Amino acid sequence: MSDAVIYDRGYRSYDGPLGGRGTTRRAIVADGVRRILGLRRKTRRKVLPWSLLALALLMAGIVVGLHFAAGSISAAISEGLPQYAELFDLFSRLALLFIAVTGPELIGPDRSQGVLSVYFSRPMTVGDYLAAKLAAYVSVTSLIYLVPQIALHLGLASLSSDGFLSYLGSNLDILWKIVAVSLAFIAVHGGVLAVITSYIDRTGFAAAAFLGTIIAGRNLAEVVAQASFPGARWFSLLALDDHPRFIRDWLFDSDVGGVYAPEAAGFGPWVSVAVVVVVGVGGGLWMLRRYRKLA
Amino acid sequence: MDAIVTLSGLTHDYGNHIALDGLDVVVPAGVTGLVGANGAGKTTMLRILLGLLHPSAGSVSVLGHDAIADPLSVRAQVGYMPEGASLPKDQTAADFVAYTAQLAGLPAGDARRRASETLFLVGLEEERFRFLGDFSTGMAQRVKLAQAIVHGPKLILLDEPASGLDPDGRVQMLELIRRLGSFGINVIVSSHVLSDIESTCDFVVMLDAGRLVRSGPVAGAHRTSTVSVEILGPVDRFTTALTTAGVEWVGDHQTVSVRADTDDIFDAIRDAAASSRVGIMRLERRALTLEDEFLGRADV
Repeated sequence: MSDAVIYDRGYRSYDGPLGGRGTTRRAIVADGVRRILGLRRKTRRKVLPWSLLALALLMAGIVVGLHFAAGSISAAISEGLPQYAELFDLFSRLALLFIAVTGPELIGPDRSQGVLSVYFSRPMTVGDYLAAKLAAYVSVTSLIYLVPQIALHLGLASLSSDGFLSYLGSNLDILWKIVAVSLAFIAVHGGVLAVITSYIDRTGFAAAAFLGTIIAGRNLAEVVAQASFPGARWFSLLALDDHPRFIRDWLFDSDVGGVYAPEAAGFGPWVSVAVVVVVGVGGGLWMLRRYRKLA
Repeated sequence: MDAIVTLSGLTHDYGNHIALDGLDVVVPAGVTGLVGANGAGKTTMLRILLGLLHPSAGSVSVLGHDAIADPLSVRAQVGYMPEGASLPKDQTAADFVAYTAQLAGLPAGDARRRASETLFLVGLEEERFRFLGDFSTGMAQRVKLAQAIVHGPKLILLDEPASGLDPDGRVQMLELIRRLGSFGINVIVSSHVLSDIESTCDFVVMLDAGRLVRSGPVAGAHRTSTVSVEILGPVDRFTTALTTAGVEWVGDHQTVSVRADTDDIFDAIRDAAASSRVGIMRLERRALTLEDEFLGRADV
């Protein structure tokens, strides 16, 4: 006679440790990062985000390599090569595409696939959910802005004739400027994306609407701002993508993008800072209001 | 038996449409059926129990917590299986169920272990690493049930769990729900299929257009029976006589169903027929199903 026993594992109630809402928020952040990057998803979901990230790093590597090659020939050649502001200009377009492709994935499918009814049956608020999604968005988009800039910063430090540590010490201001400009881009794009994805579930349509708002909106604002009716110049503020660029050129004392629409209409950089804050915070609050109705 | 849910004067409206109308219900521990036609207010009631909807009036207590003032404490102890599609297509069953466990506060390691155990319990141990977009309706319903119990809730709310399932799937889902009840999990299951509730639940709450039709033990309904009486002659005279005699009845045309709560019901029918001068073509005693009771009470 066999000694084998069949066990019915049945059901056991959970009596282990339970975290609070912090655990819940961290879980949403981690899931959001995985979703943006296509991790633990089908292979086709990984292709676009990882291609764009790889491209960003490759471009940073090329810029550092150019500095290395030029520095060994002549310091004058090296000074003419792209630096922080120029690198932002290169990456901001790449980042715009990255955000258009991955941003709607963070929000839209939860709504279109009806999963919100499951999530909000857990002990969390709409504010917890959206704050965690925001944290995931900021974490990943920061990578695409900050990693190439930090790579360039370290590369330039290692090539500096003053020595690595001396370069870092005398250029500490670069670090906060990189962070500030990155946040300006992230806030403007995130605010616009928040409003769009609050209403459009389909990720492809949301991406198209986002790119349309940023690119076509800028051109339209520029044209209308030059009209002759009273108050036309205020329309220049709707050239949303110009504001972080204006802030970037102001902070890095560069002239990468020429004259921006708000600048041409007579607005100073602090107005752009205010617009960035209003768009970022306003987009978030709009989404919160919308989700309070949905939850 | 302790109450797990207590509703007092619960009312909810969507503008001019009253979804729930002054419900007073005490739901005991065990498996409870929430019965009503589509639009009766079942889903609205479940969402109010979760604290996702604020009622227009009345109070709601779930597991001793005020669902209006403290919804997060309620949700920490409750699992919910929504009716419609509610699964992310691009995640595996194991990842999704583990994620929902983490949303309830479980650490990542415990969440993954519990997800495996729960998917085993609902019969999806082989399929747990498949993407949910590839699942059949029956498998998707099981995943929804798994996420509702993965965090070890004291009460689960199941909204039409057998909806869209074929007959075999329906039987298996109801068997699973009965099994969960046997593990000591309190269950409130909504359905518009009365036979499902009869075969699964200990207690029933019947709703019709937002009003309470009946709440009580399912077994109590089975003990009640009716006598079907086919009349020859003016039926209104007969029913008036029944009412005068204090006998409860429903029906129209020539057939009347009489509640047979007492043993001397046949004497009462005979006397009513005699006094109203009608003939009795047929008398048939039969057990009252939930469906009879629902239709009768909803009509009266």
